[in-house]
Amino acid sequence: MNTKQTIAVIGATGNMGAGIARNLSKGNYRLLLCANNQEKLQALVQDIRRHNAAADIEAVDCTVEASWEADSIIVAVPYPAEKEVADKIRKVANQKSVISISNPLNAAYNGLTTAPDTSAAEELQKLLPNSKVVKAFNTVFAADFATPVLDGKQVDSFIAGNNPEALQTVAELVSAAGLNPVIAGDLSVSRTLENMTVLLIQLSMKYNYNWLAGWKVLHH
Amino acid sequence: MYDLFFQKFREKVPLSVEEEQQIKSYLTPKKLRKRQYLLQEGDICKTLAFVEKGALREYSVDNGSEHIIQFAVEGWTISDLFSFLTGEPAIYNIDALEDSELILITRTAHEELLQTQPKYETYNRVLITSAYVALQRRLTASISLSIEERYTNFTTMYPDIAQRVPQHMIASYLGLTPETLSRARKKMTTRK
Repeated sequence: MNTKQTIAVIGATGNMGAGIARNLSKGNYRLLLCANNQEKLQALVQDIRRHNAAADIEAVDCTVEASWEADSIIVAVPYPAEKEVADKIRKVANQKSVISISNPLNAAYNGLTTAPDTSAAEELQKLLPNSKVVKAFNTVFAADFATPVLDGKQVDSFIAGNNPEALQTVAELVSAAGLNPVIAGDLSVSRTLENMTVLLIQLSMKYNYNWLAGWKVLHH
Repeated sequence: MYDLFFQKFREKVPLSVEEEQQIKSYLTPKKLRKRQYLLQEGDICKTLAFVEKGALREYSVDNGSEHIIQFAVEGWTISDLFSFLTGEPAIYNIDALEDSELILITRTAHEELLQTQPKYETYNRVLITSAYVALQRRLTASISLSIEERYTNFTTMYPDIAQRVPQHMIASYLGLTPETLSRARKKMTTRK
Protein backbone atom coordinates (compact mmCIF):
# COMPACT_ATOMS: atom_id res chain seq x y z
CA MET A 1 0.00 0.00 0.00
CA ASN A 2 1.29 3.46 -0.91
CA THR A 3 -1.07 5.52 1.23
CA LYS A 4 0.59 6.08 4.57
CA GLN A 5 -1.48 4.81 7.50
CA THR A 6 -1.48 6.72 10.74
CA ILE A 7 -0.98 4.68 13.90
CA ALA A 8 -1.53 5.99 17.41
CA VAL A 9 0.53 4.31 20.11
CA ILE A 10 -0.97 4.94 23.54
CA GLY A 11 1.50 4.23 26.31
CA ALA A 12 4.44 4.67 23.95
CA THR A 13 7.05 5.14 26.66
CA GLY A 14 6.54 1.67 28.14
CA ASN A 15 8.98 -1.08 27.12
CA MET A 16 6.49 -2.64 24.72
CA GLY A 17 5.11 0.61 23.31
CA ALA A 18 8.60 1.99 22.71
CA GLY A 19 9.73 -1.25 21.06
CA ILE A 20 6.74 -1.25 18.73
CA ALA A 21 7.16 2.47 17.93
CA ARG A 22 10.88 2.11 17.17
CA ASN A 23 10.30 -0.71 14.71
CA LEU A 24 7.19 0.72 13.05
CA SER A 25 8.97 4.05 12.51
CA LYS A 26 11.07 2.28 9.87
CA GLY A 27 7.96 1.34 7.87
CA ASN A 28 5.56 3.41 5.77
CA TYR A 29 3.65 4.66 8.80
CA ARG A 30 2.95 7.96 10.43
CA LEU A 31 3.19 7.46 14.18
CA LEU A 32 1.48 9.51 16.85
CA LEU A 33 2.87 8.69 20.26
CA CYS A 34 1.04 9.34 23.52
CA ALA A 35 2.16 8.83 27.11
CA ASN A 36 1.55 10.28 30.54
CA ASN A 37 5.12 11.48 30.98
CA GLN A 38 5.70 14.14 28.30
CA GLU A 39 9.41 14.50 29.09
CA LYS A 40 10.01 10.81 28.61
CA LEU A 41 7.89 10.88 25.45
CA GLN A 42 9.90 13.74 23.92
CA ALA A 43 13.10 11.88 24.73
CA LEU A 44 11.76 8.78 22.96
CA VAL A 45 10.72 10.75 19.86
CA GLN A 46 14.14 12.40 19.69
CA ASP A 47 15.88 9.07 20.12
CA ILE A 48 13.83 7.48 17.32
CA ARG A 49 14.58 10.44 15.05
CA ARG A 50 18.29 10.19 15.87
CA HIS A 51 18.33 6.58 14.66
CA ASN A 52 16.05 7.23 11.71
CA ALA A 53 15.90 10.79 10.41
CA ALA A 54 13.15 9.83 7.95
CA ALA A 55 10.78 8.65 10.70
CA ASP A 56 7.34 10.25 10.43
CA ILE A 57 6.73 10.49 14.12
CA GLU A 58 5.21 12.95 16.53
CA ALA A 59 4.51 13.22 20.24
CA VAL A 60 0.87 14.10 20.79
CA ASP A 61 -0.22 15.45 24.14
CA CYS A 62 -3.75 14.11 23.84
CA THR A 63 -4.86 10.53 23.50
CA VAL A 64 -8.18 11.56 21.98
CA GLU A 65 -6.61 13.79 19.30
CA ALA A 66 -4.08 11.11 18.34
CA SER A 67 -6.76 8.41 18.15
CA TRP A 68 -9.05 10.67 16.15
CA GLU A 69 -6.31 11.21 13.58
CA ALA A 70 -5.24 7.56 13.55
CA ASP A 71 -6.37 4.75 11.27
CA SER A 72 -5.37 2.14 13.86
CA ILE A 73 -4.72 2.47 17.58
CA ILE A 74 -2.27 0.43 19.64
CA VAL A 75 -3.23 0.37 23.30
CA ALA A 76 0.16 -0.33 24.89
CA VAL A 77 -0.85 0.19 28.50
CA PRO A 78 -1.07 -2.36 31.34
CA TYR A 79 -4.36 -4.23 31.56
CA PRO A 80 -5.70 -2.30 34.61
CA ALA A 81 -5.29 1.01 32.69
CA GLU A 82 -7.22 -0.13 29.62
CA LYS A 83 -10.65 0.89 30.87
CA GLU A 84 -9.59 4.48 31.37
CA VAL A 85 -8.08 4.60 27.86
CA ALA A 86 -11.17 2.98 26.34
CA ASP A 87 -13.44 5.56 27.98
CA LYS A 88 -11.35 8.34 26.46
CA ILE A 89 -11.07 7.01 22.92
CA ARG A 90 -14.47 5.32 22.52
CA LYS A 91 -15.99 7.99 20.25
CA VAL A 92 -12.98 8.57 18.02
CA ALA A 93 -12.09 4.86 17.78
CA ASN A 94 -15.46 4.01 16.23
CA GLN A 95 -14.94 1.36 13.49
CA LYS A 96 -11.14 1.52 13.86
CA SER A 97 -8.74 -1.33 14.53
CA VAL A 98 -7.70 -1.21 18.18
CA ILE A 99 -4.80 -3.44 19.13
CA SER A 100 -4.73 -5.01 22.58
CA ILE A 101 -1.20 -6.01 23.58
CA SER A 102 -1.67 -6.54 27.32
CA ASN A 103 -1.48 -9.65 29.44
CA PRO A 104 -3.60 -9.46 32.61
CA LEU A 105 -0.87 -11.03 34.77
CA ASN A 106 -1.27 -11.57 38.48
CA ALA A 107 1.30 -10.22 40.93
CA ALA A 108 3.25 -13.49 41.00
CA TYR A 109 3.42 -13.71 37.17
CA ASN A 110 2.10 -17.26 37.32
CA GLY A 111 -1.47 -16.73 36.19
CA LEU A 112 -4.01 -14.29 34.80
CA THR A 113 -6.41 -12.07 36.71
CA THR A 114 -9.18 -12.50 34.12
CA ALA A 115 -11.78 -15.26 34.41
CA PRO A 116 -11.09 -18.37 32.28
CA ASP A 117 -14.02 -17.60 29.97
CA THR A 118 -12.66 -14.23 28.88
CA SER A 119 -9.42 -12.35 28.07
CA ALA A 120 -8.00 -8.83 28.17
CA ALA A 121 -8.80 -8.45 24.48
CA GLU A 122 -12.42 -9.54 24.87
CA GLU A 123 -12.85 -7.19 27.83
CA LEU A 124 -11.48 -4.33 25.70
CA GLN A 125 -13.91 -5.27 22.92
CA LYS A 126 -16.79 -5.00 25.43
CA LEU A 127 -15.58 -1.50 26.32
CA LEU A 128 -15.26 -0.53 22.63
CA PRO A 129 -18.24 -2.25 21.02
CA ASN A 130 -17.96 -0.39 17.69
CA SER A 131 -14.21 -0.83 17.30
CA LYS A 132 -12.41 -3.80 15.77
CA VAL A 133 -10.31 -5.11 18.65
CA VAL A 134 -7.38 -7.29 17.63
CA LYS A 135 -4.99 -9.12 19.93
CA ALA A 136 -1.36 -8.82 18.85
CA PHE A 137 2.20 -8.39 20.17
CA ASN A 138 1.26 -9.89 23.57
CA THR A 139 3.21 -13.12 23.10
CA VAL A 140 6.55 -11.36 22.51
CA PHE A 141 8.91 -9.76 25.00
CA ALA A 142 9.90 -6.09 24.64
CA ALA A 143 13.51 -7.08 23.90
CA ASP A 144 12.33 -9.09 20.88
CA PHE A 145 11.67 -5.86 18.98
CA ALA A 146 15.40 -5.09 18.98
CA THR A 147 16.21 -8.76 18.28
CA PRO A 148 13.29 -10.24 16.32
CA VAL A 149 15.40 -13.14 15.02
CA LEU A 150 16.43 -15.60 17.74
CA ASP A 151 18.49 -18.71 17.11
CA GLY A 152 18.18 -17.98 13.38
CA LYS A 153 14.39 -17.94 13.49
CA GLN A 154 12.06 -14.97 13.20
CA VAL A 155 9.87 -14.78 16.29
CA ASP A 156 6.17 -15.51 15.66
CA SER A 157 3.62 -12.94 16.78
CA PHE A 158 0.12 -14.33 17.07
CA ILE A 159 -2.93 -12.32 16.11
CA ALA A 160 -6.56 -12.87 17.07
CA GLY A 161 -9.65 -10.93 16.08
CA ASN A 162 -13.14 -11.13 14.61
CA ASN A 163 -12.84 -8.76 11.64
CA PRO A 164 -10.98 -10.09 8.58
CA GLU A 165 -9.91 -6.64 7.34
CA ALA A 166 -8.64 -5.61 10.76
CA LEU A 167 -6.69 -8.90 11.03
CA GLN A 168 -5.05 -8.14 7.69
CA THR A 169 -4.18 -4.57 8.74
CA VAL A 170 -2.64 -5.82 11.98
CA ALA A 171 -0.74 -8.63 10.22
CA GLU A 172 0.91 -5.92 8.08
CA LEU A 173 1.78 -3.96 11.22
CA VAL A 174 3.30 -7.03 12.90
CA SER A 175 5.31 -7.73 9.78
CA ALA A 176 6.52 -4.11 9.61
CA ALA A 177 7.57 -4.44 13.26
CA GLY A 178 9.95 -7.23 12.22
CA LEU A 179 7.98 -10.20 13.56
CA ASN A 180 6.33 -13.10 11.77
CA PRO A 181 2.55 -12.61 11.87
CA VAL A 182 0.44 -15.71 12.51
CA ILE A 183 -3.31 -15.19 12.45
CA ALA A 184 -4.48 -17.59 15.13
CA GLY A 185 -8.26 -17.21 15.11
CA ASP A 186 -11.13 -15.13 16.44
CA LEU A 187 -10.90 -12.85 19.46
CA SER A 188 -11.61 -15.65 21.96
CA VAL A 189 -8.27 -17.24 20.97
CA SER A 190 -6.77 -14.33 22.96
CA ARG A 191 -7.38 -16.47 26.08
CA THR A 192 -4.83 -18.98 24.79
CA LEU A 193 -2.45 -16.26 23.59
CA GLU A 194 -2.49 -14.49 26.94
CA ASN A 195 -1.85 -17.79 28.74
CA MET A 196 1.03 -18.57 26.37
CA THR A 197 2.73 -15.46 27.71
CA VAL A 198 2.29 -16.67 31.28
CA LEU A 199 4.15 -19.83 30.27
CA LEU A 200 6.86 -17.91 28.41
CA ILE A 201 7.42 -15.72 31.46
CA GLN A 202 7.56 -18.77 33.73
CA LEU A 203 10.09 -20.44 31.43
CA SER A 204 12.10 -17.27 31.11
CA MET A 205 12.43 -17.02 34.88
CA LYS A 206 13.09 -20.73 35.40
CA TYR A 207 15.73 -21.10 32.70
CA ASN A 208 17.06 -17.54 32.79
CA TYR A 209 16.29 -16.55 29.18
CA ASN A 210 17.16 -12.98 30.18
CA TRP A 211 13.76 -11.81 28.82
CA LEU A 212 14.87 -12.47 25.29
CA ALA A 213 12.65 -15.32 24.15
CA GLY A 214 9.69 -15.93 21.88
CA TRP A 215 7.39 -18.49 20.38
CA LYS A 216 8.04 -20.18 17.07
CA VAL A 217 5.73 -22.74 15.54
CA LEU A 218 7.83 -25.21 13.57
CA HIS A 219 6.08 -26.75 10.63
CA HIS A 220 6.85 -28.21 7.26
CA MET B 1 -18.16 15.26 15.22
CA TYR B 2 -21.03 14.03 13.05
CA ASP B 3 -23.16 17.20 13.04
CA LEU B 4 -22.84 18.22 9.41
CA PHE B 5 -23.05 14.63 8.19
CA PHE B 6 -26.46 14.13 9.79
CA GLN B 7 -27.62 17.63 8.91
CA LYS B 8 -26.93 16.89 5.22
CA PHE B 9 -28.43 13.43 5.59
CA ARG B 10 -31.65 14.85 7.06
CA GLU B 11 -31.91 17.38 4.22
CA LYS B 12 -32.24 14.39 1.92
CA VAL B 13 -33.98 11.83 4.17
CA PRO B 14 -35.54 12.45 7.61
CA LEU B 15 -34.16 10.23 10.38
CA SER B 16 -35.30 9.17 13.83
CA VAL B 17 -32.86 9.32 16.75
CA GLU B 18 -32.61 5.50 16.75
CA GLU B 19 -31.86 5.43 13.03
CA GLU B 20 -29.18 8.07 13.49
CA GLN B 21 -27.60 5.99 16.29
CA GLN B 22 -27.62 2.88 14.14
CA ILE B 23 -25.97 4.67 11.21
CA LYS B 24 -23.47 6.37 13.52
CA SER B 25 -22.18 3.02 14.77
CA TYR B 26 -20.89 2.34 11.24
CA LEU B 27 -19.03 5.62 10.74
CA THR B 28 -15.30 6.23 11.20
CA PRO B 29 -14.27 9.70 12.38
CA LYS B 30 -10.86 10.63 10.99
CA LYS B 31 -8.68 13.72 11.00
CA LEU B 32 -6.36 14.45 8.12
CA ARG B 33 -3.78 17.21 8.13
CA LYS B 34 -2.98 19.52 5.25
CA ARG B 35 -1.05 17.76 2.46
CA GLN B 36 -1.70 14.27 3.84
CA TYR B 37 -3.15 11.65 1.55
CA LEU B 38 -6.45 9.92 2.07
CA LEU B 39 -5.75 7.81 -1.00
CA GLN B 40 -2.84 7.30 -3.34
CA GLU B 41 -3.11 6.05 -6.89
CA GLY B 42 -2.60 2.28 -7.15
CA ASP B 43 -4.09 1.53 -3.73
CA ILE B 44 -7.63 0.26 -3.30
CA CYS B 45 -10.00 3.03 -2.26
CA LYS B 46 -11.45 1.59 0.94
CA THR B 47 -13.73 4.40 2.03
CA LEU B 48 -16.21 7.06 1.07
CA ALA B 49 -15.19 10.30 2.78
CA PHE B 50 -17.62 12.95 3.92
CA VAL B 51 -16.04 16.32 4.74
CA GLU B 52 -17.19 17.56 8.13
CA LYS B 53 -14.55 20.30 8.12
CA GLY B 54 -11.74 21.30 5.75
CA ALA B 55 -11.05 20.82 2.06
CA LEU B 56 -9.70 18.02 -0.15
CA ARG B 57 -8.99 17.47 -3.80
CA GLU B 58 -9.00 14.41 -6.03
CA TYR B 59 -6.62 14.28 -8.98
CA SER B 60 -4.83 12.08 -11.44
CA VAL B 61 -1.21 12.54 -12.47
CA ASP B 62 0.25 12.00 -15.91
CA ASN B 63 3.78 12.91 -16.95
CA GLY B 64 4.13 14.86 -13.76
CA SER B 65 1.14 17.12 -14.34
CA GLU B 66 -1.91 16.99 -12.07
CA HIS B 67 -5.47 16.94 -13.32
CA ILE B 68 -7.95 17.80 -10.60
CA ILE B 69 -11.29 16.10 -11.07
CA GLN B 70 -12.99 17.16 -7.86
CA PHE B 71 -12.75 19.42 -4.85
CA ALA B 72 -14.60 18.61 -1.64
CA VAL B 73 -15.35 21.08 1.12
CA GLU B 74 -17.75 20.90 4.08
CA GLY B 75 -20.78 18.77 3.28
CA TRP B 76 -19.28 17.05 0.25
CA THR B 77 -18.39 13.40 -0.26
CA ILE B 78 -15.22 12.33 -2.04
CA SER B 79 -13.90 8.95 -3.17
CA ASP B 80 -12.52 7.00 -6.12
CA LEU B 81 -15.92 5.42 -6.62
CA PHE B 82 -14.83 2.87 -9.21
CA SER B 83 -12.08 1.55 -6.96
CA PHE B 84 -14.37 1.67 -3.91
CA LEU B 85 -17.09 -0.38 -5.60
CA THR B 86 -14.92 -2.87 -7.51
CA GLY B 87 -11.85 -3.25 -5.30
CA GLU B 88 -9.66 -2.43 -8.33
CA PRO B 89 -6.64 -0.13 -7.83
CA ALA B 90 -7.47 3.59 -7.68
CA ILE B 91 -6.45 5.83 -10.56
CA TYR B 92 -6.85 8.97 -8.44
CA ASN B 93 -5.08 10.56 -5.50
CA ILE B 94 -7.01 12.32 -2.75
CA ASP B 95 -5.23 14.70 -0.40
CA ALA B 96 -6.10 17.43 2.08
CA LEU B 97 -5.78 21.08 1.08
CA GLU B 98 -6.46 22.14 4.66
CA ASP B 99 -6.48 20.36 8.03
CA SER B 100 -9.68 18.34 7.74
CA GLU B 101 -12.17 16.33 9.75
CA LEU B 102 -13.74 13.48 7.83
CA ILE B 103 -16.41 10.87 8.33
CA LEU B 104 -15.33 7.69 6.57
CA ILE B 105 -17.57 4.84 5.49
CA THR B 106 -15.77 1.59 4.68
CA ARG B 107 -16.99 -0.74 1.95
CA THR B 108 -18.18 -3.27 4.53
CA ALA B 109 -20.01 -0.60 6.54
CA HIS B 110 -21.53 0.76 3.31
CA GLU B 111 -22.78 -2.69 2.24
CA GLU B 112 -24.21 -3.49 5.67
CA LEU B 113 -25.94 -0.13 5.89
CA LEU B 114 -27.43 -0.58 2.43
CA GLN B 115 -28.86 -3.91 3.57
CA THR B 116 -30.05 -2.94 7.03
CA GLN B 117 -31.06 0.70 6.72
CA PRO B 118 -33.43 1.64 3.85
CA LYS B 119 -32.93 5.33 4.61
CA TYR B 120 -29.22 4.98 3.98
CA GLU B 121 -30.05 3.48 0.62
CA THR B 122 -32.33 6.42 -0.20
CA TYR B 123 -29.66 8.87 0.95
CA ASN B 124 -27.16 7.20 -1.36
CA ARG B 125 -29.53 7.25 -4.30
CA VAL B 126 -30.05 11.00 -3.87
CA LEU B 127 -26.31 11.54 -3.39
CA ILE B 128 -25.31 9.59 -6.50
CA THR B 129 -28.06 11.20 -8.59
CA SER B 130 -26.90 14.70 -7.67
CA ALA B 131 -23.30 13.73 -8.31
CA TYR B 132 -24.28 12.41 -11.73
CA VAL B 133 -26.08 15.63 -12.61
CA ALA B 134 -23.10 17.67 -11.44
CA LEU B 135 -20.81 15.52 -13.57
CA GLN B 136 -23.00 16.06 -16.67
CA ARG B 137 -22.89 19.80 -16.09
CA ARG B 138 -19.14 19.70 -15.67
CA LEU B 139 -18.74 17.69 -18.86
CA THR B 140 -20.93 20.09 -20.83
CA ALA B 141 -19.02 23.05 -19.47
CA SER B 142 -15.65 21.61 -20.34
CA ILE B 143 -16.55 20.62 -23.91
CA SER B 144 -18.76 23.52 -24.95
CA LEU B 145 -17.94 26.68 -22.99
CA SER B 146 -15.22 29.20 -23.63
CA ILE B 147 -12.39 29.50 -21.12
CA GLU B 148 -13.87 32.64 -19.59
CA GLU B 149 -17.33 31.09 -19.37
CA ARG B 150 -15.88 27.99 -17.72
CA TYR B 151 -14.16 30.11 -15.10
CA THR B 152 -17.20 32.28 -14.42
CA ASN B 153 -19.37 29.20 -14.30
CA PHE B 154 -17.11 27.64 -11.68
CA THR B 155 -16.81 30.71 -9.47
CA THR B 156 -20.58 31.29 -9.61
CA MET B 157 -21.49 27.70 -8.83
CA TYR B 158 -18.83 27.16 -6.19
CA PRO B 159 -17.89 30.55 -4.71
CA ASP B 160 -16.77 28.94 -1.44
CA ILE B 161 -14.32 26.64 -3.23
CA ALA B 162 -13.08 29.37 -5.57
CA GLN B 163 -12.07 31.48 -2.58
CA ARG B 164 -10.30 28.71 -0.71
CA VAL B 165 -8.16 26.98 -3.32
CA PRO B 166 -5.20 28.47 -5.20
CA GLN B 167 -5.69 29.63 -8.81
CA HIS B 168 -3.39 26.99 -10.30
CA MET B 169 -5.67 24.28 -8.88
CA ILE B 170 -8.75 25.94 -10.35
CA ALA B 171 -6.88 26.04 -13.67
CA SER B 172 -6.15 22.31 -13.35
CA TYR B 173 -9.80 21.61 -12.53
CA LEU B 174 -10.90 23.55 -15.61
CA GLY B 175 -8.37 21.75 -17.80
CA LEU B 176 -6.23 24.84 -18.33
CA THR B 177 -2.62 25.76 -17.71
CA PRO B 178 -2.19 28.38 -14.94
CA GLU B 179 -0.89 30.82 -17.60
CA THR B 180 -3.99 30.42 -19.78
CA LEU B 181 -6.29 31.00 -16.82
CA SER B 182 -4.26 34.00 -15.71
CA ARG B 183 -4.48 35.56 -19.20
CA ALA B 184 -8.23 34.90 -19.35
CA ARG B 185 -8.79 36.48 -15.93
CA LYS B 186 -6.74 39.52 -16.93
CA LYS B 187 -8.82 39.91 -20.06
CA MET B 188 -12.02 39.67 -18.01
CA THR B 189 -10.83 42.36 -15.58
CA THR B 190 -9.80 44.79 -18.29
CA ARG B 191 -13.13 44.30 -20.06
CA LYS B 192 -14.97 45.33 -16.90
